[in-house]
Amino acid sequence: MKFLFRSCLRLSIFLVLSSWAIPCTGQQQISGTVTNTDNMPIPGVNITFKNKPGGTTTNFDGEYELNVQAQDSLVFAYLGYQTQTIAVANQSQINITLQEEENSLGDLVINAGYYTTTDRERTGSIEKVSAEEIELQPVVNPLQALQGRMPGVEVVQQSGVTGLAASIQIRGQNSLRNSPGNNGNQPLFIVDGVPINSSPVRTSGLLTNVPGLDPLNVLNLANIESIEVLKDADATAIYGSRGANGVVLITTKKPKGQQGKLQVNARLYAGFSQASHKMELLNTSQYLQMRQQAFANDGEEPTLAGDPDVTRWDQNRYTDWQEVLFGNTAEVTNMNLALSAGDAYTSFILGGGYHKEGSVFPGDFGYQKATANINLTHRSKDNKLKLNFSTNYGVDQNDLFNDSFVGLALTLPPNAPELYDSDGNLNWEESTWSNPLANHYKTQQVNSNNLMSNMNLSYRLVEGLDLKTNLGYASLNSEELIKNPIRTYDPQYWANVQASSTHSTVNRSSWIIEPQLVYETQRGNFNLEALAGLSFQNTRSSTLISVGQGYSHESLIGNLAAADQVRVNVNENIDYRYMAAFGRLGVNWKEKYFLNFTGRRDGSSRFGRDKRFANFGAIGGAWLFSEETFFKEKVEWLNFGKLRASYGTTGSDQIPDYGYLDTYQPTTGPGGLYATQLVNPDYSWEVNKKLETAVEVGLLENRLQVGVSWYRNRSSNQLVGYPLPATTGFATVQANLPAVVENTGWEFSLSTTNIKTKNFQWQSNINLTIPQNKLIEFDGIEETAYQNIYRVGEPLDIAILFQYEGIDPETGFYQIRDVNEDGSYNYDDRIVIKNLGRKYYAGINNTFTYKGVALSFLWQYVQQDNYTYFAQSGTPGFNVNQPVEVLDAWQGPGDNSSFQQYSQNIPAFMAHYNAIRSDRAVDDASFLRLKTLSLSYNLSPKAIEKTGLQGVRLFAHGQNLLTFTNYLGLDPEGGLALPPLRSFTFGLEVKF
Amino acid sequence: MIIASSIMLSCEEFLEVDVPDNRIISSTVFNDQESAESAVQGLYNELSTAYFAAGGPNSVSVLTGLSADNLITTVTSQNLREFEENELTVQNPNNYEVWSSAYNLIYQTNSVLEGLANASSINQQEIDRMRGEALFLRSFVYFYLVNLYGEVPLVLTTDYRQNSTLSSEEVQVLYNQIVNDLEEAKELLASMPQNKLRATSLTVNAFLARVYLYLENYQAAEIVSTDVISNSAVTLEANLDDVFLINSSEAIWQISPESTGTGALHTREGNFFILDGPPNSLNPVGLSSDFLEIYTNQDNRLQQWIASFNDDTGTYFYPFKYKVKYATTGEITEYTMVLRLAEQYLIRAEARANQGNSSGALTDLDVIRERAQIPSIMNTNPNLPVPAILDSIAVERRRELFTEWGHRWMDLKRTDQANEVLVPIKSLWESTDILYPIAEEELMKNPNLEQNPGY
Repeated sequence: MKFLFRSCLRLSIFLVLSSWAIPCTGQQQISGTVTNTDNMPIPGVNITFKNKPGGTTTNFDGEYELNVQAQDSLVFAYLGYQTQTIAVANQSQINITLQEEENSLGDLVINAGYYTTTDRERTGSIEKVSAEEIELQPVVNPLQALQGRMPGVEVVQQSGVTGLAASIQIRGQNSLRNSPGNNGNQPLFIVDGVPINSSPVRTSGLLTNVPGLDPLNVLNLANIESIEVLKDADATAIYGSRGANGVVLITTKKPKGQQGKLQVNARLYAGFSQASHKMELLNTSQYLQMRQQAFANDGEEPTLAGDPDVTRWDQNRYTDWQEVLFGNTAEVTNMNLALSAGDAYTSFILGGGYHKEGSVFPGDFGYQKATANINLTHRSKDNKLKLNFSTNYGVDQNDLFNDSFVGLALTLPPNAPELYDSDGNLNWEESTWSNPLANHYKTQQVNSNNLMSNMNLSYRLVEGLDLKTNLGYASLNSEELIKNPIRTYDPQYWANVQASSTHSTVNRSSWIIEPQLVYETQRGNFNLEALAGLSFQNTRSSTLISVGQGYSHESLIGNLAAADQVRVNVNENIDYRYMAAFGRLGVNWKEKYFLNFTGRRDGSSRFGRDKRFANFGAIGGAWLFSEETFFKEKVEWLNFGKLRASYGTTGSDQIPDYGYLDTYQPTTGPGGLYATQLVNPDYSWEVNKKLETAVEVGLLENRLQVGVSWYRNRSSNQLVGYPLPATTGFATVQANLPAVVENTGWEFSLSTTNIKTKNFQWQSNINLTIPQNKLIEFDGIEETAYQNIYRVGEPLDIAILFQYEGIDPETGFYQIRDVNEDGSYNYDDRIVIKNLGRKYYAGINNTFTYKGVALSFLWQYVQQDNYTYFAQSGTPGFNVNQPVEVLDAWQGPGDNSSFQQYSQNIPAFMAHYNAIRSDRAVDDASFLRLKTLSLSYNLSPKAIEKTGLQGVRLFAHGQNLLTFTNYLGLDPEGGLALPPLRSFTFGLEVKF
Repeated sequence: MIIASSIMLSCEEFLEVDVPDNRIISSTVFNDQESAESAVQGLYNELSTAYFAAGGPNSVSVLTGLSADNLITTVTSQNLREFEENELTVQNPNNYEVWSSAYNLIYQTNSVLEGLANASSINQQEIDRMRGEALFLRSFVYFYLVNLYGEVPLVLTTDYRQNSTLSSEEVQVLYNQIVNDLEEAKELLASMPQNKLRATSLTVNAFLARVYLYLENYQAAEIVSTDVISNSAVTLEANLDDVFLINSSEAIWQISPESTGTGALHTREGNFFILDGPPNSLNPVGLSSDFLEIYTNQDNRLQQWIASFNDDTGTYFYPFKYKVKYATTGEITEYTMVLRLAEQYLIRAEARANQGNSSGALTDLDVIRERAQIPSIMNTNPNLPVPAILDSIAVERRRELFTEWGHRWMDLKRTDQANEVLVPIKSLWESTDILYPIAEEELMKNPNLEQNPGY
């Protein structure tokens, strides 16, 4: 096997290298300067050949040099300017002035992964967010920066705790597997051509174990050039088995052809964050009144042992536990420095960044990361060899504690005792409570480092034919240490408890080799681009979790040599191998009619021997109808019009590894083995068929641009951890289900230039998504464990609930409907179906610029239902605090109230237990949020002329500033987690 | 593309990944004696951590103690309170853990039995012995399932396709399987040397005696328990403090806490029951006052197996059979007791009484009473009629075997005493509460299962 593998490698390397030595023929040199209408040089203008691949960009002074042939035509393109095409003929110098183009769809270059296209010519559905929209947001994770910015992309931040993974779904939930440890709905993430295992890093800490830490945290947001999201079959089928849930391409910054001179860009911002919302809870007198009334209602007396809040604690003390436990202000600091230089052939960027955030929790917690990056490009003088090398390295340290304060803050009685006694030690109030601050001695530190490195080589074999190779390596190492000192316990237990530590190490490393051949040609009006490639990927993930127990002193905790006992809880190594052959054929006629064929054959080690390979493919087409003579002549107000459509298949191999292996594993006790899992060797790929049609138009000199697309994705052959009754010995087995999930939807985007004068501009971008998710087919669902989780004809994200029937006028307790009148409440009585998915969502971004001042703000709107805090609340009358709404509790017959009477008896508990599983627990959770607000001021060139600086910018940024919602709870997206942070930052950027 | 496809074809082997180093392919486990032995040892290790058996808050010992009249909750624990008040809901997680951990162990035993059936390179004598152990363990688990839930699916293979839709079998069918398996195991283990941590023919006999008693096959129960009692390998400990130690002469089958793999050197029972402070969420259970009243003051069991913790919030009595709450260093001194000789005397007493042999019954009963330093009935009341003897045996079983694997609850059930005993002290008691419900989750997943009456 190893031999074969090596020979594969050798073959691919041979393919890559064998061509470097092919000689080239003579050419003429051409040079020139590109300027704008104010006669200022434009650096970074893309200069490409119209008739063949290759090209260059202008340097900082707008100059370029290129080897050309007389028959060549050069295309000069720059974002925001009209593209110009010039035939070379016998010229040796071409100086050119580019005209500004307003809101041009122009030739905005779009990264489609294995190839690039332009916004104008693309046949697939691709969204792009560029650096300016991302880089100022005071978040650590690039995904969070996407919230509200793209139609069809749902990013949900599940917690305000820094570093926790946000969830992302592109065009809805495709897979029935949606649990944190086994999620079949993750898109494919590619950073500079290297696929990244984006599944959250497992940690042992209670604050972070769900959903886990995001491995993309260590990317430097300031170093991201663009993020592209590929959505439809045309764009994703070339990723085959990994494209079912869409693809997120993250591209880091590349040098733009500076000549000689070193350019420096330094940026610094600082600010602060707070939890964005708190709930209104009972104060001490309201709380105690509730408690007393509960005892009175039950005819019981509070006891010293069971009810210290009523019998032993200070009856007048009041603490706002939310303020104490998550009300701190966290400071944020961010610094970035980028250096770039080079000549016409070789240039580079070096960058570094540092980010530090405090915590809203009491205690010394926080997050910091440092990043370094390098990007180097080189081309040979004959322009045949091109090379790009990029490396991003980041280290971060997340200081947390092994518990959460948020749930406690909402439930602790408001008269709970002081946190510290007069000596400054934790107060245990004669063992009548668990001091919440005890948790913060259980420190949790997660240190990660992440390396992503990529080398891209391309060599022109003959005119129009390039051999390319993409070599990538990614490595993530995460070390977690949780300390559990004796101090976290009530002193009365100290004699019998042991200090302990939990150590988790997660390593993920992977390499990828992708040799490719690219061919381009033009025959008259017919253009053709073809690409064929191979992909080999090897990934190894390992997890080691060990526990040390019995430290003689707190300062030794964490050093396993000092522990009395060490045991290893988890030690696993997982290998994943993946290979593919892929291809693309793109043709167009007169740049008016476009057709794009993509395909891939994939093999994955996650399947049994007979089920490893599968084929995927797609076809996409576009018609630029505005190029037709009819439109050009008769419909002058239409500047741009395109119809496009695509259809194809993608798949998913996002399942746990080794599911087909029938194995035994060591037991925790000595000398034993146990059967690991149920085995099904025959499961195979999930298939996702995607259909899309779209129309894009630009009107009124492109000041009004509208895009509408409709999609329909169907996922069949659902690969699931099929739930089984415990009588089979286990809870699940890997299997394909005869179920079809359909996602359909409309996506609208509108961008307008509302006002445009010399000094003042107002632009708006609006996106709106109306998704619909439906389980359309599931034969025999009644015979399966899914019968009470999903319903055919309904979305996947539903709650199946009891029907709430108000408060029983006799008992004063909640009532739910006993549908079959059998006297008990079970799944047969759950008849109310509530859709918890988003009904529609939108982002509205406005940008105003006045001379050097720019103001932009993004509103995010989501229409949805969700479980409210009621679903997690305690029974009214028990010794937990409640939202003030509970004051409307039932008092006596005839009372028309919304909360049941205070009581601690079993019928009260059961009534509440049922009610929180009824439709009373689900309510409107729509919200409108001012997601970002950013104000910046560029000092005018005149003002800084004498300083020698090239640019100075002052800016202020706000995140999650306002939220409008009727939701009962901390946050309409987060449940019991820490709500997202509201941040203000202020900064300065200098270029010289 | 053609070249690409051919390269791919030749590189298919690239996708062959090695088996991860923390696993062994099942078919190779039973290719050699040593790893097959590990799989059998694994059954004991898994038993010791299986929730229903592990002595903690999901165990038969604790949950049935609450459902019956031995234990009470001492701090609010809604899930345990449902057992205590006989108001079990179909969502109760502890109840689900009992069920699912039991069936996981049944899967493990079936997997070993299937592996042994295809083990060609191990010598037959060893295969037989290992098969005997697996059969015994499977019967042991089914015994608890049938007693807690009544009719349950009888799973005898590892085939999940078949097992996921099995209907429940009648109680009689389940018991037939248990008895047949135990009888076979007894034969297969005939040559197994005495070992208190593994199943031997002595272990099987001791358990079989209990099964025959439950089936009211008194003659067989007497014969088998006599076999055990007359075996010189086990004798009653004179001192009650020694009964649960690792070298207890009374032990027939024990589980070592080491096999739980937590690094702990103390039993789960000791850790769970013993109070070193007021009750808390980790130690939420104590003995009921109703239970304490069954002892006379001179009963040594009251002195040696029961202890209390006092503070200004009250006095809490707890089981003190195991003396070690935390042992983090040093050596293991106690094992968890599963089968011991005292029960055999009580089984034989009951079997004899039911066959009209009063004096024989009293002789056995008095063995247990005398050890506890309470008066022998033979001396004080030799002409006690049989029904009264049976009542005395029931009380003695409660005194002797409390918090050991659910005896009290299952005695109430098999002797039809539950209504009579529990109605006066449990306000929410209904006669259908004697069987636990099948968890809702389980009914959802297997449409062929039927809920027990009353839920």
